[in-house]
Amino acid sequence: MPSNPRLIDLQRGFAAAIGGRDTSVRDWVEARGIDPDDRLAIYRHASQATYSHALGEAYPTVLALVGEAYFEHLAAHYRSEHPSRTGNLQDFGARFAEFLDAPTPASAHPPYLADSARLDWSRQSAALAADATPVDGRQRAAAAASNPEHLRVRLHPSLRLLRSEYPVLSIHRWCQSPSSAPPRLDDGAESVLLWREDDEVAMVATAEASAIFVESLLLDKTVDAAATAALDADPEFDAAECLGGLLSRDLITGFEQ
Amino acid sequence: MQATLVRTQTPIPAQAGIGLRAPHVARVLAERPTIPWFEVHSENYFGAGGAAHRALERIRADYPVSLHGVGLSLGSADRLEAAHLRRLRELIDRYEPGLVSEHLSWGAVDGAHFNDLLPLPHTRQALNLVVSRIAQIEEALARPILIENISSYLRFRDAQMPESVFVAEVARRSGCGLLLDVNNVYVNSVNHGFDAEGYLDAIPAQSVREIHLAGFTRKTGLPAPLLIDSHDHPVAAEVWTLYENALRRFGPQPTLIEWDARIPALETLIAEADRAAEYLHAVQPEID
Repeated sequence: MPSNPRLIDLQRGFAAAIGGRDTSVRDWVEARGIDPDDRLAIYRHASQATYSHALGEAYPTVLALVGEAYFEHLAAHYRSEHPSRTGNLQDFGARFAEFLDAPTPASAHPPYLADSARLDWSRQSAALAADATPVDGRQRAAAAASNPEHLRVRLHPSLRLLRSEYPVLSIHRWCQSPSSAPPRLDDGAESVLLWREDDEVAMVATAEASAIFVESLLLDKTVDAAATAALDADPEFDAAECLGGLLSRDLITGFEQ
Repeated sequence: MQATLVRTQTPIPAQAGIGLRAPHVARVLAERPTIPWFEVHSENYFGAGGAAHRALERIRADYPVSLHGVGLSLGSADRLEAAHLRRLRELIDRYEPGLVSEHLSWGAVDGAHFNDLLPLPHTRQALNLVVSRIAQIEEALARPILIENISSYLRFRDAQMPESVFVAEVARRSGCGLLLDVNNVYVNSVNHGFDAEGYLDAIPAQSVREIHLAGFTRKTGLPAPLLIDSHDHPVAAEVWTLYENALRRFGPQPTLIEWDARIPALETLIAEADRAAEYLHAVQPEID
């Protein structure tokens, strides 16, 4: 290595050492009684601990399901495939579910793990989502008098819908307090509605037709189109009741005609 | 978000505050302890809304607050991230903090972040970069910032000046204030074998606007002493002594107790802040 590196080359070399790929930056590091490799290792280990901890904070269900040791292994692999892209650690886990969806043959994961990760990430993003003011009585009255064929609703920014083939909410709750019998995978699919309520993230498992209805509203379909899609799944579906539920939980923040 | 409070920037007093961390937020909100000011990590409030903001709104209504950044990576050779600066600007506009500070470090290259405070070489090239970056940041944020010296576990062979001169030159040339982390000075004096008092001598006295205190850990199993800036212990005796000397040189400055890992009860932090207040009192007896 040249004696006076450019700053960009020094930083690239340091990055490679932290990633464990190439430690030739050691030639630019003073020893002073400690091997430069040992000095660089302090940064490498701190980095692993930082990312493992940050990922564990965001993904408590995955951590509980796989245990600490394997979680650390996953975190290290995830970090090497998806380096942090911002200076905000809260963003670091954004692609973890996608990463778990594509396991290598050596580390095949149970099929519900990626959806459990999606639930964890939905919880974090609901907790951090923007605040918004729910509609008032006057707006409700105006909406009630309007034509549902043209009516669209704006939902609270914290509202999330997760549809899974697995009982993800039951799995999450069991991981939080594993005192009862564990859920069985053949307990069936669960669609989960999540939102922020009094600074906590609330979650309910929701019926298929309601899930389709909310999903359609989130995709900016009209109330009428959302109701039609939900009725296809369940002829008994009651759109007015479902909208009433969203209103009572302060999850509708606007109507558009 | 309905930001209901009309207020202006509340200056951070030359008293001993505490770094506000998640485990203590509920108690601070419920009990409103007598703590002169709080510092928070800017990035913890980069989310759009929710509980963290609601709590900070309430705390900011009753206490002076300082925003301390850990992720801007101002020393990255390739670029400063505009999105990060924009978000920080929004936070500043929202909370009107008394002080805004960043670290004299880098943490990203080629778009990959390390979310750590990595050391810069003490070269003229790095100095020029940092000085121009500080100007860019202060323009984007429309306010002055403080720059903090970091702990480090290695030095680069191509250094052209001691760390103290590098820090002093950053302040002189950019005009920024310094957040002098006395624990980091002590840690580096052990790790790199320099005289901590001599370091303080090199710092332009009028630049120091805030002081940080924290605890370190001694790393074992290495052939030479090495201290880690772990923020998980009480402030060490040697650091209190250096703090006392720093106050004599730089006058009473807002002082912060930082504790980020193995976070103890709020009382422990208050006791550390009370101890810092005694040193502050000694150099400014009129403060009660």
